[in-house]
Amino acid sequence: MRFVFLHSITADKPLMKKSSIFGIVVIAVAIAIIVCTYGSSSSYGTFADAQKNGGQLHIIGYLDKQKGMVYDAAKDANYFSFYMKDTLGKECKVVYTSTKPEDFERSDKIVLTGQMAGNEFHASHILLKCPSKYTKDKVEVSAKQSSI
Amino acid sequence: MNIAYQGEHLLPGQLGQFFIILAFGSALFSTISYYFATTEANKFDTSWLWMGRIGYFLNSISVIGIGSCLFYIIYNNLFEYHYAWEHSSRTLPVYYIISSFWEGQEGSFWLWGFWQAVLGNILIWKAKSWEKPVLTIVALAQTLLSSMLLGIEIFGARIGSSPFILLRQALEAPIFSQPDYLSFIRDGNGLNPLLQNYWMVIHPPILFLGFASMVVPFAYAASGLWQKRYKEWVQPAISYSLFAVMVLGTGVIMGSRWAYESLNFGGFWAWDPVENAALIPWLTLIGAVHVMIVYKNTGHAYFTATFLTLVSFILVLYASFLTRSGVLGDTSVHAFTDLGMFWHLVVDAVVFLIIAVVLLVWRWKELPISKKEEETYSREFWMFVGAVFLALSCLQLIVVTSIPVWNDIFKTHIAPPSNPVTLYNVFQAGFAVVVTLLAGVTQFLKYKKTDTTRFFIISLIYLVFAAVITGLIVYITGVYHLRFVFVLVMFGAVYSLLANVKVLADVFKGKTKLAGSAVAHIGFGLIMVGALIAAGTSKVISQNNTGLEYGSDFDKTNNPRENIMLYKNEPLKMADYLVTYVGDSVSAPNHYFLINYKQLDSSGKVKAEFTLKPNSQFNVKMSSLISSPDTKHYIFHDLYTHISMAPVSVLEAGMDDGHGQENDSTSYNPPVSHEVSVGDTIPYRDGYIVLQSLNKQAHVQNIPLGPNDVAVGAELKVVSHGITYNAEPVFMVKNGSVFDFARKVDDAGLKLRLSKIIPEKNKVEITLYDQPESKRPYVVMRAIEFPDINFLWTGTIIMVIGFLISIFRRNKELKTD
Repeated sequence: MRFVFLHSITADKPLMKKSSIFGIVVIAVAIAIIVCTYGSSSSYGTFADAQKNGGQLHIIGYLDKQKGMVYDAAKDANYFSFYMKDTLGKECKVVYTSTKPEDFERSDKIVLTGQMAGNEFHASHILLKCPSKYTKDKVEVSAKQSSI
Repeated sequence: MNIAYQGEHLLPGQLGQFFIILAFGSALFSTISYYFATTEANKFDTSWLWMGRIGYFLNSISVIGIGSCLFYIIYNNLFEYHYAWEHSSRTLPVYYIISSFWEGQEGSFWLWGFWQAVLGNILIWKAKSWEKPVLTIVALAQTLLSSMLLGIEIFGARIGSSPFILLRQALEAPIFSQPDYLSFIRDGNGLNPLLQNYWMVIHPPILFLGFASMVVPFAYAASGLWQKRYKEWVQPAISYSLFAVMVLGTGVIMGSRWAYESLNFGGFWAWDPVENAALIPWLTLIGAVHVMIVYKNTGHAYFTATFLTLVSFILVLYASFLTRSGVLGDTSVHAFTDLGMFWHLVVDAVVFLIIAVVLLVWRWKELPISKKEEETYSREFWMFVGAVFLALSCLQLIVVTSIPVWNDIFKTHIAPPSNPVTLYNVFQAGFAVVVTLLAGVTQFLKYKKTDTTRFFIISLIYLVFAAVITGLIVYITGVYHLRFVFVLVMFGAVYSLLANVKVLADVFKGKTKLAGSAVAHIGFGLIMVGALIAAGTSKVISQNNTGLEYGSDFDKTNNPRENIMLYKNEPLKMADYLVTYVGDSVSAPNHYFLINYKQLDSSGKVKAEFTLKPNSQFNVKMSSLISSPDTKHYIFHDLYTHISMAPVSVLEAGMDDGHGQENDSTSYNPPVSHEVSVGDTIPYRDGYIVLQSLNKQAHVQNIPLGPNDVAVGAELKVVSHGITYNAEPVFMVKNGSVFDFARKVDDAGLKLRLSKIIPEKNKVEITLYDQPESKRPYVVMRAIEFPDINFLWTGTIIMVIGFLISIFRRNKELKTD
């Protein structure tokens, strides 16, 4: 707690008003919040960007229904792969280490979070958007457990 | 083109629409009347006041009228109305009809309006000298809320969205050109299976009562400015604010309980924007309550108290904009889709923002802002600091949750953090450390001035105690595996628990005033402890790779494989349990998977046994699957089990009561024949089969045997993975022809035939068909252990009790003043 530290210095010798110090702390925290948010925010990109940068990325795209999907619980209950076309039309194999999300085939738009590993995109998070105009259902899945 | 449609019930809709217009009109009328009542110079002229009241009563009646019409429509399955068709169905039981009522945006707006009407009436009854200005604000809020339901076109733009719109008006389809279209619409879409949970019956009303009651503190703060009653507004506002935070807090936790019980993300809080939206105003109003108390007791912090109170309600409106305008589209699962009310929702929030800003600027010069600083060793100063930190934690939630809004405003294209949960956890934990420590420290401080030596000694003693206890908890529960900031949160929570237990002990010695605060803080401390342990040390026990693992937040490089596959009746060892998928139980539309758990002790003996029934709803029409978990509750931990995936064949078999027709030749491996005598054993992949005896008197249902006919049954004992089944395939000679009747042992994935009798060898031939693994019924599931989650739920109940005690105390003060 930096604040208490600062304060204890000034308690004896009031160099600055207490409220001014507190005000500075508040502003500092607020700036830290904004900077951290900006710093940790990801960006939307394409498979080409993912290949170039190698970091975590959000990619919006469409399921390639012709290429098919692989999920065989008997072989590996935590391996699901499919092909997705990004907004620029580049196609890439996507691997997701969990079960096949419910309603996956029905999705018309997919938002992936993850990064490239070789020629495959390893997704840690998939957000699906279903086509029907009148159903609100969007299905979100994450390979890992959410925790507080 | 006019078509005379057949079978439509237009009256309830027209009546409902009439009530909507009346609700809007009367609320507007009430607002204007109350405004003039407030500004009326002649104190004895009560005509404006009465007009305002009549307007408000009329609005309340209309709101009840709207609700009754809508309920009538849903209850009677009038699918000519879009709302009923969209959200309900014939098979829905009555208690879920109630939840379908508020599944849509219109219904939830109505719920909000209903509570605001109730609160307005309470204020008319109780507010006395505050009635005129306070009701002006409340009636204005009610006017804007009623306008959300209007659904009428003005200058080409549709204002609001009415729940009474007809299906043929809402959708465009060729079917609506037929006068008898209704006879084709047999049933509605039904309620989202995830919402078919008892928490969804009770959680939305509580949550919306919380949202609705936030307007009251705002109205008091604004009226305080407007009427220059800077000192008096606080007293009633404290009571109403306590009520609002109590109800909203309960609603939020109920929502997380629902998520825990029926959603499959595996937890109780996911920092989804919709969750954050409810938490944001709660945090600021909690801060506001504290500074209001400071202001009441010391005269300090007037501006902070007013500001936080005003901003809380504006944030409620902002939150409703976030969740209802569709702006969250790419980032939230739960947010509503846009109903074309984007700007309408913006206007609603902006109107109240303008009111707040104008009042503050207008009165700026006369605001009672204290020139003198608070004492360093005073309760008020540190309460103020705590409130500001609550507001800062709220700021962090707003900044991150609103990323899509920033994108819209600044035309940027920033994606939310790729690991938002970690970001929120770490930040919020940091704020929680400060807030919980302060909730402890301030208990040892007095208003105005405290004896510093005594304060340092006592707070230090408690600090040491808290450190020791925290060390123990952290060691036993394994919280020390987590980031250090989480250990600090535990320390803060324990410290605030201890300090408030001391205050509670003093309460029993006669200092009853602080009972409510002590109890509420204890509850809050327990919530923090429970949430931290449960979320931080929850363990996925269905992991394929063994070893102690912690959630994604705490181990990023590892990629846990959290799902396991269970073949039917094939036990699998999972942590301390032997888990078996033993069967299914179908009660449409739910398909329950019976998952048997046997808890083993160190010597491998069964200590306890229970069966969980996670379920899935399989919708044949849409071929979609929606699963809900089932949880075994213990006092100190929960075992959560959820089906991630099940083969469609299993689900379809469930749908038609197990008589699914499969093509046998494709679902079995090539047959294997064995020549055996009585007593012989046939080994096979999953176990063995014993021919126990031959039954010469075998008979097959519906086939009478003649004098020359023969039927022999082979009594077989099948042992598969330690489970014994009996089967009796039959060989039959009837009228000179040979038949044989195979028997299936579905649970063992076997089909058995008595295919030949070989008298010369005194043997029979048994033909064995076993199913390849992939054709056998299986489920893929995930199981998570949540330790100590009950602290979270009990903490909530205790906190609510604390709020109640405080409200009673404040109301008593209100009367004696």
